[in-house]
Amino acid sequence: MNLAFAMTAASPALLSIWLLPLVGAIVIWTLGPQLRRNAGYLGSAFVLVSFALALANFGAAGNATGLRAPLVTWGPGFAFGLQLDALSLLWTLVITGVGGLIHIYSIGYMWTDRAIARFFAYLNFFVFSMLTLVLADNVVGLLVGWGLVGLASYFLIGFWFYKPTAVAAARKAFVINVFGDIGIMFAIFACYAATGSIAFSDIFAKAGTFSEPLVLAICIGLFIGAMAKSAQVPLHTWLPDAMEGPTPVSALIHAATMVTAGVYLIARFAPLWNLSPTAQEMVAVVGAITMVTGAILGMAQWDIKRILACSTMSQIGYMIMGVGVGAYQAGVLHFFTHAFFKAQLFLGAGLIIHALGDEQDVRKMGGLYRKMPFTFAAMLTGTLAIIGFPFFSGFYSKDAIIYEALEHGHPILFFAGALTAGITAYYMFRMLFVTFFGSYRGDVPDAMLAIAPPVPGAYAAHDDGHVEHAPTWLMQAPVAVLMVPTVIAGYLTIGGESSPWYRYFGTLFGHGGNVAGVPLAIPEWASTIFVLVLVTLGIVVAYLRYGNPPALIGAVDRLRGEALKMPPVLAHAFYVDALIATAIVRPANALGGAISRYVDPHVIDAGVRDVAWVAGMLGALFRALQTGLVRAYALTIVVGAACFIAYFAYLGTAR
Amino acid sequence: MILFFALAIVLVASAIVTIVQKSPVYSVVSLLVNFIALAAMYFTLNAEFIGVIQIVVYTGAILVLFVFVIALLSSGIGPFSEGPDRLPKILVPALVATLAAFGFLTYGLTRVPLGTLPAHVTTSTVGDVGKANVFGSVGDFGAALFTTHLLPFEVTAFILMVAVIGVVVLGSDATIAPTHGTHVPKKKSRERESIVKAAK
Amino acid sequence: MPVDIANYISLSTVIFFIGVIGVVTRRNPLIVLMSIELMFNAANLAIVAFSKLWGNNAGHIFVFLVVTVAAAEAAIGLAIVVQVFRRAKHVDLDEVAGLRG
Repeated sequence: MNLAFAMTAASPALLSIWLLPLVGAIVIWTLGPQLRRNAGYLGSAFVLVSFALALANFGAAGNATGLRAPLVTWGPGFAFGLQLDALSLLWTLVITGVGGLIHIYSIGYMWTDRAIARFFAYLNFFVFSMLTLVLADNVVGLLVGWGLVGLASYFLIGFWFYKPTAVAAARKAFVINVFGDIGIMFAIFACYAATGSIAFSDIFAKAGTFSEPLVLAICIGLFIGAMAKSAQVPLHTWLPDAMEGPTPVSALIHAATMVTAGVYLIARFAPLWNLSPTAQEMVAVVGAITMVTGAILGMAQWDIKRILACSTMSQIGYMIMGVGVGAYQAGVLHFFTHAFFKAQLFLGAGLIIHALGDEQDVRKMGGLYRKMPFTFAAMLTGTLAIIGFPFFSGFYSKDAIIYEALEHGHPILFFAGALTAGITAYYMFRMLFVTFFGSYRGDVPDAMLAIAPPVPGAYAAHDDGHVEHAPTWLMQAPVAVLMVPTVIAGYLTIGGESSPWYRYFGTLFGHGGNVAGVPLAIPEWASTIFVLVLVTLGIVVAYLRYGNPPALIGAVDRLRGEALKMPPVLAHAFYVDALIATAIVRPANALGGAISRYVDPHVIDAGVRDVAWVAGMLGALFRALQTGLVRAYALTIVVGAACFIAYFAYLGTAR
Repeated sequence: MILFFALAIVLVASAIVTIVQKSPVYSVVSLLVNFIALAAMYFTLNAEFIGVIQIVVYTGAILVLFVFVIALLSSGIGPFSEGPDRLPKILVPALVATLAAFGFLTYGLTRVPLGTLPAHVTTSTVGDVGKANVFGSVGDFGAALFTTHLLPFEVTAFILMVAVIGVVVLGSDATIAPTHGTHVPKKKSRERESIVKAAK
Repeated sequence: MPVDIANYISLSTVIFFIGVIGVVTRRNPLIVLMSIELMFNAANLAIVAFSKLWGNNAGHIFVFLVVTVAAAEAAIGLAIVVQVFRRAKHVDLDEVAGLRG
């Protein structure tokens, strides 16, 4: 075994970026009881230092090879190392940057939770896992990170493990993610069998020699993993359930970073996808289906976090569709902008939930516009960004995806994208109107409706009625910081092919993507206007139904009635859960039940019993020989001796 | 020839009497006859020393031991009265098995050329041991025992020592006391302690 | 007329199986022990006869050892009989069946 440590050649900065969150996790985990709330500051510090280091290496990562840190070689073809190229850097910046802000926010959000140290240990561990995923220079490292983020996600969804729903959601997420891991694993097997190496560079160098079916098989394996991790139909059902976790977790893992790992995977393997138009088609179509499904489901939710979860699904669908049609820069850009505005939306929702005492039902909100102006500003900014309102970041990225779908010859996907943009505008403004306008319909007293919130829970309030709470700025500052990129992140692409964004990624993807059909001769401005019309239509419908003063009168009864009138197909989220239960869970249960009812008792247990019975019978048989009488024993000896004598007499005869 | 057959008849007859006698005393007497006849048989085979040993050890020691035990046990009431026979039908299979083994052995022996006995054996494999260079003589035997076969001889001494210890253990009362099911209190040691205290 | 070795061996065999019958059929432990002595003697006779046949006195040595072991065996066997008598008050091998399964 050739275990060579090449630490000298490794970039110490890169190693630090990777390992700092792990050190943080270990320290916090070890000293948790002593650190208490300081764990939050410590964890945030580790992540932010990591972020600063990544930012310092911005230039080095952008060149052709990027930063590299070979670490360990297990054998020929099995070398583990880190690499920081443009794509990795983008993800690293988002993970550590947005992650750091969410860390700070979490200090306030988890202020009164006794297990705050455990929470930050998990959070740091998640950051480390995610960095492993994006920094690995080989497929095995990627899979390890892929599995570790699933584990961290499991820990964090089930963080409040005394809630049975949280535990069930954590388990569901984990199982579905592991299903995806299997797909990636088989893709890795195929890659290694074809190239004899696990390094990305070797695989991509030899990708041109792969046969068409092999490329397709590898792509399908990878895409199964991407579907599970990025909540693509039909493996999306875990994402809305994952909202059982604390809101910062939803913001970090289930909106900004982890669920976009599928996008990273496809972008990382762009050289392979470019070889297989069939696989690209498949990815684009699944992305589009998810995009539309998520948006439709978003219209039917009343839980604020579930609305955001559905929109996350829908937006990831955009990204997947983008990378699927070959618009890698656009898809990755949408990841970038989405990370900001979705994190902001979730953190804003967290502010509301926190203020209302863990109330998540938008029907019990309303009129919060006057009481929580900062939160309203944050949510409004995020909403405008997500619906692609002009000059907000989402406008640039989403518009690019929709237009490039058309440009690469997918008119149906173009229309689906445009339609989804309209639906998104509708349900996001519906949420905004119901939450912030009209009159308050909940039961939290007015005096308590501040950012310094009462958190239900015995250990929060002291005996004298004084409620301990975090400094207000702790939770507002990260949201305020996020508002900046939410607005301006898209400006990076102004200028088209010569914009900073496209120049930075130009070397990575080249001119990726194939042109499946004849591009329609529609200029970009026409596409933009078409989308904007649909968006405006969505906003108008939302206003008519939920926003105008007449609609807000008697809103309580009407909203409740609307929940009852909801089409069952929407109320049950297209029956995907039921379908999975019928198609997979129930047969598996039936099989297990049948085995436990028939095979176990009649084959396995029976076999064991029969063996025991034979032993017992033999024992009974031989017991009869043990008479305890000396003469019987002597006779036995005589008989045995007679046999011996007969044998030797026979031997003599034979000779 | 005549001597052999006479001794053979005595040997077989006395052996049969030994095993069919009801009283062990008669058996011992019959066995005595058997042993003496066998010693005579050894002399016909040029094994003088073995013949002497046969008389000294068997008749002088082992049979006396038998007699002694019979005398010891006869002090009890009906020591050899037999209870119910738990294997009344063993005679037939025992005879069958024994006769089968006998038959096999005889058959096997008839198939093997045994050769004929030499009239006189004067040489010994032990080699030249002076005046004792006569097969079966004491000198011949002793030279072989203490040179070539010294180790088995020593081992025999060890076996006899083990037997002595075993007989002493078996013969003492204390160790074979029926102790099953009863807890033997550690009274003795406590008593000893008190004695030791008193002595101080 | 010299006596052939076959005669000695046949005699030895007969005495041996008389001893076997005694061991298997008798219930008096003393007589069983005596039967065992008979078997020892029969074996000794065969050994001595073969020793003469081959002109090798190793057989004598072996007989000597057998006699020694027989003495030890008789001593221990009789000690056991005495112990059985002490516990059971009479010596019947059928009564000493504590090993019955």
